[in-house]
Amino acid sequence: MTALIEARGVSKRFRQHKRFPGLLGAFKTLVTTEYTEVVAVSDIGFDIAAGEAVGYLGPNGAGKSTMIKMMTGILVPSTGTLSVLGRTPHLERMTNAREIGVVFGQRSQLWWDLPLIDSFTLHQRIYDIPLARYQDNLKRFSTLLDLTPFLDRAVRQLSLGQRMRAEIVMSLLHDPKILFLDEPTIGLDVVAKDAVRKFLAEINRERGVTIILTTHDLQDIETICPRLIMVDHARLIFDGELKSLRAALGSSRRLTLEFATDPGPLPLSSATLTADEGLRKHYLLEREDVSLVSVLSEVGNDRGLKDVALHEPDIEEVIRTFYQRRNAAALAS
Amino acid sequence: MSAYTAFARSSFQSQLAYRNEVWANIFGKLVQVFARVAIWLAVYAGVGAATLVNGISLQQMITYALLGGAVMGATRPERVINEIGRSLKTGDISVWLLKPLSYPLYLFANESGSFLYRLLTQVFPTVAFTALFYGMLPPESLFHGAMFVAFWAMSFILLFLMSAFCGLIAFWLMTSFSLDWMFGALLNLFSGLMVPFWFFPEPLATLARHLPFGFVVYYPNAVYLGQLSVTQTWLYLGLGLFWTALFFVGVLWLWRKASTRITVQGG
Repeated sequence: MTALIEARGVSKRFRQHKRFPGLLGAFKTLVTTEYTEVVAVSDIGFDIAAGEAVGYLGPNGAGKSTMIKMMTGILVPSTGTLSVLGRTPHLERMTNAREIGVVFGQRSQLWWDLPLIDSFTLHQRIYDIPLARYQDNLKRFSTLLDLTPFLDRAVRQLSLGQRMRAEIVMSLLHDPKILFLDEPTIGLDVVAKDAVRKFLAEINRERGVTIILTTHDLQDIETICPRLIMVDHARLIFDGELKSLRAALGSSRRLTLEFATDPGPLPLSSATLTADEGLRKHYLLEREDVSLVSVLSEVGNDRGLKDVALHEPDIEEVIRTFYQRRNAAALAS
Repeated sequence: MSAYTAFARSSFQSQLAYRNEVWANIFGKLVQVFARVAIWLAVYAGVGAATLVNGISLQQMITYALLGGAVMGATRPERVINEIGRSLKTGDISVWLLKPLSYPLYLFANESGSFLYRLLTQVFPTVAFTALFYGMLPPESLFHGAMFVAFWAMSFILLFLMSAFCGLIAFWLMTSFSLDWMFGALLNLFSGLMVPFWFFPEPLATLARHLPFGFVVYYPNAVYLGQLSVTQTWLYLGLGLFWTALFFVGVLWLWRKASTRITVQGG
């Protein structure tokens, strides 16, 4: 089977005029011919098949948005080849545009001053969507994401969560084959995040829309994307199933115990002590099956335990751990 | 209905969202028109109201002042310039590249919608209202009247193209503010909005006649008042169309350069 999206050794470098600090530097900046080169994406390759849902994950500045922009055709790769739906995105941007949907979490595509429904009608015109199909899609998606109550309200009066749901509905009205989402859950509350995730998962499952989404939030990936592509410092560092990544390193939870009086050294069999501040002790729970109850029962009632805090690993931490291990492995070999 | 007509319509409707602004704008327009009329009343009062200055009567000057607001009053070049500048600065421009449509044409449709809106709600009422007080001459002849409409439509398109051209230059300067100021100043002087070219001293008058700005206010008004003969009218219509075509090509060319730069350098 041929892949829907093919990336081969894709890199993107930006050239920026060198800037000099200070007042004199400002004048120097004006006339300088020196450039600094920023590598945003470096030698990335992957295949994405039709119907897949892929999470594109990485810390700030890892080149996620740049990659999305290249796949949608609004940035030209510096080197390497990229093929989306059998086309080179930036060469056939207009044709491509009709078959993809794009949502930017931090950039609205809705018409600010108009009622929400007008943005949808404009979208129907721009993409020449047959009226019957447009109405059918609008009705189905609006119901699923609960937009109906505020379709007549001006976009600027909507909450961030409502607007984000509207953005997603709009991006799907023309039945795109691929949906790109750049941080679709950023800034949303727990309820809105949940609604968006469930909707995207359903769209992917039932309509077979291929989804590529960038995020910081591991939860997004867990609900929507079985496959994970991880980048850091412009490079691909992991491409595979989320399950295998979690099994490898994602299950380490951190436990902090706080005592009223210092109980002295307190080694535990089920957790590894990582730092001991006397009153406060930090442990690492490396195994998934260790329950908090069993750890606490090992500590016992008579040590003056005051407070317990358990931290699930967030995505930055998973990436950090992963990266550190990779570096360590590279050093060792 | 095509996407562009829909844009024009939605831009018309967007304006309705700010109802209070309408009243403030009407008031502002009234003050402007009155001020322009008052200047000429004062000038002619100095020489005697019935005197012709350079062959122009007071009544003709008042008509000139009223007409001057008809095109300029409904267009806001700084809006086009700032809209492009803002999209470039915030990166919203990439959203437009993602849609199967032309950004310059979208801008034009958008501007047409708000032009029509301001024309209907602000310009026509204020001009009619002022005309009630000071009187307004009819066009010199049927020919001149019809040609005024043609010049006037061209004026709108040319002004849009010039503004868009300026706005796109902002892409390389990374600021639209200074361009907006410079363009506004040139336009005020060389469009003939404040003072018609026949009152300009030489060689300023010759310079003004050879710049494209004159087609925004001066030439449409001069046609209306019959200051251009039939032959001259056709000649200047041709010249105006030439400038329009030039700026049209210029805008397309700059937009191509700009979009290449966006896609290669990321803005």
